[in-house]
Amino acid sequence: MSPLRRFLRKPEAVAGAILLAALVAMALSAPMLFPGDPQAIAGPALLPPFQDWSLPLGTDRLGRDVLAELFYGARTSLAVGLAAAAAALAIGSVVGTLAGFAGGLVDEVLMRITDAFQTVPGFLLALAFVSVVGPSLGIVVIAIALGTWTGPARVARAEVLSIRERDYVAGARVIGMHPLAIAFREVLPNALPPVLAMSSVIVAAAILTEAALSFLGLGDPNRATWGGMIAEGRAVLRTAPFLSIVPGIALVLTVLGVYLAGEGIVETTAVRRGLS
Amino acid sequence: MIALASIRDLTVTYRRDGNEVAALKTINLDIGAGERLAIIGESGSGKSTLALAIAGLLPASSRIEGRLDWFLPSSPSSGAKAPPSVLPDISPPRGEITPSFRLSPITEIASKELPSKLPISPLAGEMSGRTEGGGTDRQPKFVPLGGRDIGFVFQDPSASLDPVMAVGKQIAEVAYTHLGLTWPQAYAKAKSLLERVRLPDPDSALRAFPHQLSGGQKQRVAIAAAIAAGPKLLIADEATSALDTIVQAEIVALIRRLVAEDGMTLLFISHDIALAAELAERIAVFRHGELLELGPTAQIVDAPTQAYTRTLLDAHIGLDATPLLNRAGLNA
Amino acid sequence: MNLLTVSNLTKRYRRGGKTIAAVDDISFHIEPGETLALAGPSGSGKSTIARLVLRLIEPDAGHIEFEGNDFLALSGAALRQRRARLQMVFQDPLAAFNPRSTVARLLDDPLRIHGIAARAERPRRIAALLERVGLAADLAPRAIHEISGGQRQRVAIARAIATKPSLIVLDEAVSALDVSVRGQILELLLDLQRQERIAYLFISHDLGVVRAIAHRVVLLEAGEIAECGDARTVIDAPQSAIGKALVAAAPRLNRTRP
Repeated sequence: MSPLRRFLRKPEAVAGAILLAALVAMALSAPMLFPGDPQAIAGPALLPPFQDWSLPLGTDRLGRDVLAELFYGARTSLAVGLAAAAAALAIGSVVGTLAGFAGGLVDEVLMRITDAFQTVPGFLLALAFVSVVGPSLGIVVIAIALGTWTGPARVARAEVLSIRERDYVAGARVIGMHPLAIAFREVLPNALPPVLAMSSVIVAAAILTEAALSFLGLGDPNRATWGGMIAEGRAVLRTAPFLSIVPGIALVLTVLGVYLAGEGIVETTAVRRGLS
Repeated sequence: MIALASIRDLTVTYRRDGNEVAALKTINLDIGAGERLAIIGESGSGKSTLALAIAGLLPASSRIEGRLDWFLPSSPSSGAKAPPSVLPDISPPRGEITPSFRLSPITEIASKELPSKLPISPLAGEMSGRTEGGGTDRQPKFVPLGGRDIGFVFQDPSASLDPVMAVGKQIAEVAYTHLGLTWPQAYAKAKSLLERVRLPDPDSALRAFPHQLSGGQKQRVAIAAAIAAGPKLLIADEATSALDTIVQAEIVALIRRLVAEDGMTLLFISHDIALAAELAERIAVFRHGELLELGPTAQIVDAPTQAYTRTLLDAHIGLDATPLLNRAGLNA
Repeated sequence: MNLLTVSNLTKRYRRGGKTIAAVDDISFHIEPGETLALAGPSGSGKSTIARLVLRLIEPDAGHIEFEGNDFLALSGAALRQRRARLQMVFQDPLAAFNPRSTVARLLDDPLRIHGIAARAERPRRIAALLERVGLAADLAPRAIHEISGGQRQRVAIARAIATKPSLIVLDEAVSALDVSVRGQILELLLDLQRQERIAYLFISHDLGVVRAIAHRVVLLEAGEIAECGDARTVIDAPQSAIGKALVAAAPRLNRTRP
């Protein structure tokens, strides 16, 4: 059975994929559906949802279109979540591979650095980094990656430690391959599956961290973000709760979709590996 | 020959990436009570699948057709401690012959002869055998149970032994589960078994963990566990292939002695026809899931009917083989 | 002149506070085009010697001279370059290859690393290597797990001869193969030896195979040499206890009509 068909047999994975597809569609269609600036004033302030069909989800305190902000927020969440997770996985697997493969002093130094990062809570690290360097999309990505690369690094190192004793690594040495080529051509690709298995959790966590940073006003101020929308709605929570609830639901569904789809992919590919 | 088990039209199919692969194709084979039967074949011959099918250890995803009839004494050894000391006392009057059961794990295939709810695999059979045994059926029913009636020795003892349990406990557990012994009795039994398999210093070996033993010693422990409940049938699936020549010869001698002492039937699965010929009375040659040839060892070795069997015999490189090396070439 | 001279080679391991010599003061040599077999029970140190000779592990004492040079003095790029002349074939060809590789990539590696053929020329060289070991050239794009065990071991041999080595270490290279395939692989090895004058360090626990393929044999026990000499002489009439035990343990096929 093909991995795709196995994936399609899992209802939770399909549900996750549909949620994720909807999110991607929102992100991609935002500039087409809402060509203007989502942060521009579009109507009267605090218009409740479903009153005016040109502004279906109403407006916030400044009269900005909530639906437009939601669509543009999906762009930010997705971009930051994926970029931060990719950065964390890339840094983690390179550090872990080098530490595990080189061993000795290199291993010792790299793993003590990993320890140092791991002892500081990831969110605190991100918070401190953004406050010092200043909020922008790229900085937020780096800040989140800084707090999350250690997990992948440890998993990659453990995997590399077992792989480097395999015959095919000895075979690569016998053939005269350079140690760096062995590490990145022979060892790393085979060490990746368990590292990539962490990606759904990491992407979901990165999306949440981005929302938390924006909520605290440390997101990119020039972009609509769901965290920012929740923070904005907080002031009028009693009178206009929808301003916080709508982006909150979007956030929950996104994290759920990423997680379910990610786990589905990991499981179907793991089954394939088990068989071969 | 009195049959211990009779296999009829056994076909086993594995599903792999959507394709169905037949591992065994309509096998017909009788295993004689008390005989030493070798199953010979190369990789992909289906010899291990046959061993697993007989022991009821095939994965649930495999599809099994055909039937396997057992002719065992009808009283399951619920309380009996002593393993049978003489050659099989299986001289079944017709009524005592155990009913046949359909081989198949968890899947379809309705039986022609039996109600569809009958035991469908030896493992499942154990459960229904216990509950139904006295009551529902008029005929005494007995389905062999892995561990009690069938001892299985795998190729790799490091994989078949629990790495975090002392070996004494692992052997005692078998005796405790199947012989109705108290734990101290089972533990004492484990010690006597370690003596029987000639493990040096059985007292300290009882407390040893598998990683503290050599490959040959681990295989001795695995054999002790396999025979702990006094099984009628011992299946050794490439049990000596991972060992070096000297240890292999020792293990083969051990299996031969134990089988003779306990009157067990031996099913010796191997790729090595010379090794099998040293141990077995009959040899079955398998290839591509089919039984090519079956006969007494002397006939298979000296007068094989199949060209493939001759190929296997010719491929054996013994100590008397004509050297392949042309020595003249070296210093030329 | 000797191709490989190993003298006083020693490798110790620490296990549970005790130091065990896996290889204890071993000396032997191999001449060009010769097959020297290392035989012995498991734990006798034969695989450790193979890994020491290949510099996969470093000895605690001793010298290895290969093609007239101190092989242990080499390091870094010089060692990697010299490895072209000293190759290895492993027991389990599936474990010896990166599970993601294709036949073409496995054979491309040595050609690329040692600059044997330009990129454009390599596919032709790969096809020639495959044909040399008795495989069809169209096997090149196949994944390594798609081909049979015998084909895999042929690919392993093709990879080993790609750099035109003078010595190949065969570590139980035919032990995991089906007997019907084993004979063909042994014939291939002998043919390569005749054509290219490659020497083999043939590691095996199977005295029957050793007697059939090796010129000389070194019998090992517990890291020490128990006996050595002409393969047929030693195996037909072993003098050491371990030699007698190995011969006695070898399965015999008593055929009246061979």
